[in-house]
Amino acid sequence: MNLEEKILEIMRETFETQDISTATSQRNCARWDSLRHLTLASELEDAFDIDLEPEEIATMTDFSHVLEMIQSKL
Amino acid sequence: MTTFVFRNHTVEAFFGYDDITYSGYDDISLVPDDADRYIWFFQVPINTDCTQLAQEIESYIDQLDIVIAHVKDSKPFIIFSLESLFSLRLAGNETVVTEAINRFNLHAIELEKKYPNVKWVDFSEFTSRYDSETLVNWKYYLMSQTLLNPKLARDFQSWWQRINAELDLQRKKCLVLDLDNTLWGGVLGEDGIDGIKLGGDYPGNAFHYWQRSLLQLSKNGVILAVCSKNNEDDVIQAWQLNPNMVLKQEHFAAVRINWKDKATNMSDLADELNIGLDSMVFVDDSPAERELIKQLLPQVEVPDFPEKPYQLMPFFKHLVERYFRIYAVTAEDRDKTRQYQENAMRHAERSRYADLESYLYSLDIAIDVIPVDEHRVPRVAQMTQKTNQFNLTTHRYTESDVRQLMEQGWHLFCMNESDRFGDNGVTGTIFLEPLDDITVNIDTLLLSCRILGKGVEDAFVKTVLNLLRLDGYRRVKAQYVPTAKNIQTADFYDKLGMTCTKTSPDGVKDYEMELKQVFEINNCYNIRVL
Repeated sequence: MNLEEKILEIMRETFETQDISTATSQRNCARWDSLRHLTLASELEDAFDIDLEPEEIATMTDFSHVLEMIQSKL
Repeated sequence: MTTFVFRNHTVEAFFGYDDITYSGYDDISLVPDDADRYIWFFQVPINTDCTQLAQEIESYIDQLDIVIAHVKDSKPFIIFSLESLFSLRLAGNETVVTEAINRFNLHAIELEKKYPNVKWVDFSEFTSRYDSETLVNWKYYLMSQTLLNPKLARDFQSWWQRINAELDLQRKKCLVLDLDNTLWGGVLGEDGIDGIKLGGDYPGNAFHYWQRSLLQLSKNGVILAVCSKNNEDDVIQAWQLNPNMVLKQEHFAAVRINWKDKATNMSDLADELNIGLDSMVFVDDSPAERELIKQLLPQVEVPDFPEKPYQLMPFFKHLVERYFRIYAVTAEDRDKTRQYQENAMRHAERSRYADLESYLYSLDIAIDVIPVDEHRVPRVAQMTQKTNQFNLTTHRYTESDVRQLMEQGWHLFCMNESDRFGDNGVTGTIFLEPLDDITVNIDTLLLSCRILGKGVEDAFVKTVLNLLRLDGYRRVKAQYVPTAKNIQTADFYDKLGMTCTKTSPDGVKDYEMELKQVFEINNCYNIRVL
């Protein structure tokens, strides 16, 4: 599974919906609320064995920013 | 089922989002009455002013009282114990916070005793697995008010699932134990009565603690049995003569000490005790025996046995938590081993009498038919959960279900049965749903298998139907729903004189009968209606 697919999979599980794509953002996905946003951050930290700072978590508001952030950490 | 959670921190990561509603933080102004159950999950807040924090914790006691007073007592209310996740004491002797936490927890336990719908859950069982650095993740706490580390969410969910299973009364009935290297160290046949390791120094003391713990388990309603390859005479001698033996013959409801294969012995034990194989847990130090049981009797639970004697106490804890703990021990539970033993005596007695009738007379059977009251709801609900063999419909009900049926005007009776060998306690129940002014439907009819074989079921049902007839009912309907275990009841209603009106392809049979006259009941039973 490539990086993008792995992130999408984590997002599907966290938000409990299959309706997730590379275009998904906090604005167009109702289930991506502030609480699940933190669950997503926590899941990403565990899945990729990285640490995300609060400021960084705050910028990850759509898929492409999430992807960028993870890439910069690996 | 919808759940409403009273909380003072963010807990969505642990309980999820489906069928669940959360209160505001520290907010008891709303107590919704449409929830099916309630959870109180407060955590000790972060506050370095200990005096202030203690006062805040004290205020939870009042808040909890107010909430419970507003919740209908037919709905489950689960209180999590308060646990300190991050304790900070500026002075070493500052104990006000600990004292306040203890007061809250003691109060919650009192509430559980006072209100049958309240259950207290010991949250320390979960938190004690972790150190304080793991319990609180400051990054997430400060971003989201999630005090308990969200990284523990998965662990929490599996723990919570187990607690829920316990709350729903799904537990095993019988623990079957091997002897050599299981209840004591060494092999009796080789080491001799005084050579086996039991009591004294390690490893004997480990087996001693283990036996004492098992004895406590049996006092709490778990049936103990033995399945061992040994010479029975050697074992009986060891039971009598080894001064350190805690568990002796009288503590086991049934024993199989012989050289037959253990699968056959386990099936025999299930028959003798009149319980299902799926109610049994098999504990044996031999991996080969465990594998045999796993393969041949997959219904039996077979936990791994610890390799070292010093691991026996954690193993005991595991057994209790995984298979045997429930949240309400009834008086019947505590007496179970004795009751099963008395049953074995009754079997012996039976063969001495030529015909059943004189045998029944000799037993001095007394049957009390009791309308179900609040006091008996836990036992009645427990019977619907656990009874498989003599159970006509196998409808399972929780305590709050039972309370709701009572509120809806159903007629619920239970039965206390005793004979000259002892009091069997509340061992049968019948739920009747009024369909109209003259018709009732038997929704549930069950009897504990340990009292069967004495015709008690017949006398119980007839007594209840006579009572209903006095109340003006003239027609009774009933159903038999077949399961893998209740075949012995398939023709119960036919024998009672009911007419089968319909048989569905799945084997469900509908019955009907007019209540024309009073049923005659054999007067070998001493029946009282309370």
